[in-house]
Amino acid sequence: MKKIIFGSSLLPFVSGILLLLCLDAGASDESVLDRINKANEPFDGSKIESAYALPMKTVRAKEPYQGGTFRLLARKDSIARFRCSVCHTDKKTQARDGSLSTHGDIKLNHGREEDGLSCADCHHEKEKDFLVGKKGAKVDFDHSYQLCGKCHFRQKSDWVGGAHGKRVKYWAGERVINNCATCHNPHSPRFAKRMPATFSLPLDK
Amino acid sequence: MVSRKDKEGQVKKKNLLDSQTSRRSFLKGASIAAAAGSAALVTGCVPGAEAGSSEEFSLKWEEYFKKHYRLMTQEEKDETIARLVKLAKLQYDLDIQMSSRPPQEQVLYGYAFNITRCEGFMDCVKACVKENNQDRKSKTQYIRTFEMEPGQLDPSTGDGKYFHEVPVDNKFYMGVQCFQCENAPCIKACPTKATWREPDGIVVVDYDWCIGCRYCMAACPYWGRRFNWGKPEIPQEEINTKQHYLGNRIRPKGKVEKCTFCVQRTREGKLPACAEACPTGARVFGNLLDPDSEIRYVLKHKKVFRMKEELGTDPKFWYFID
Repeated sequence: MKKIIFGSSLLPFVSGILLLLCLDAGASDESVLDRINKANEPFDGSKIESAYALPMKTVRAKEPYQGGTFRLLARKDSIARFRCSVCHTDKKTQARDGSLSTHGDIKLNHGREEDGLSCADCHHEKEKDFLVGKKGAKVDFDHSYQLCGKCHFRQKSDWVGGAHGKRVKYWAGERVINNCATCHNPHSPRFAKRMPATFSLPLDK
Repeated sequence: MVSRKDKEGQVKKKNLLDSQTSRRSFLKGASIAAAAGSAALVTGCVPGAEAGSSEEFSLKWEEYFKKHYRLMTQEEKDETIARLVKLAKLQYDLDIQMSSRPPQEQVLYGYAFNITRCEGFMDCVKACVKENNQDRKSKTQYIRTFEMEPGQLDPSTGDGKYFHEVPVDNKFYMGVQCFQCENAPCIKACPTKATWREPDGIVVVDYDWCIGCRYCMAACPYWGRRFNWGKPEIPQEEINTKQHYLGNRIRPKGKVEKCTFCVQRTREGKLPACAEACPTGARVFGNLLDPDSEIRYVLKHKKVFRMKEELGTDPKFWYFID
């Protein structure tokens, strides 16, 4: 009895494989580039309902992106001693706590050795809660790309477009990307050398 | 002609569906009989020999007779997933969530890798192993990073097993994984049609239809596929419980597995684990059919190339330089 049932169920299985063959046959008549060049309709990211809003604070960038806008992670919340103007007032004080209150822990390693940057190259001299942008304009810490882009204009345009930096968590939904300081320490922007996180075994050949 | 064949297939598929209930009820009865003590029923190819409880045995028995993923109705997909979830509870004492989320329309996944930015930290590899429940014993990895001499673009000239402080001056790093080819040779090589390209471009494997012949591995010009010689060994607390049927579910022994662009994540709108883990932003992932996506920006504005493009495999993975 078992054999009969097995035999009768084998035929549809075989025909199922034939059906799969047919499915494959008509699939790849167009190359990826053809498909890309044809696709000019923006994708509605809200169609993927599982890409919900991030739990982090974000701000809307003051840069246009593909005719729309995008958001980036806020920066001010993650600066430990913001706001700067709490200490930096007009009152004269004696620096008693040495390194703690004078930012002695910051090792500045930005720019080339012979002409490295100093504090006032980026920080606003009078408005302590701001950075300094084009022609001495105030730049909010959340929008530090306006300052960084003064020198790193190529990286900035790549960052706005999407070839530099990265999106946060989701490829779908509203575009939220890292700000400059999410990845780079502004006082020492180059990534430090370190050991890899893991290693690979030799190829089995 | 195709439509006639299709119809024929449909009819036969219907027959298959009709015969399903009677066969299943018979098998269920048989499984209970077997569990009661007739071990002679358990032949070499039926995955029942190592089953612990009778419930486990009957679940495995039913699993053995399920259909190819692409021929299952949604109901049948839900049934097999329910069984796999129960089996995971019995075997690993884990509450897993398994999805069979289908591809989204107007989505074609693509990847771009910045060889100027990658510094060889291998955070991507580590994240991938954890996300995709890869075997820790054999150190299976879907991604391989190569330390390359300047001017070389063929990873076979690079060092794929470096372990020293990175980045080394005057070297560059190149990550290689499955490129999800549009015209994939591995798919053509598979004798059981256990691997195919989904409409959103991801090449997937039905692990239960893979017979482990490894023809696909021989066919792949990019060394994109891995074979597991044993059941994956993963510490209990490190098992990723968010799984997809075609993605990171724990593979049976003797199957070919590969990068699926983290199908369990990307179909939920998330970035693949490697792209999220990358500390340098060298990995760009997105929808190739969306003109506003980052990946499209890269393809339009950067110097890009694909590996071994002359083979006509049409990969959806580009390398680019700043």
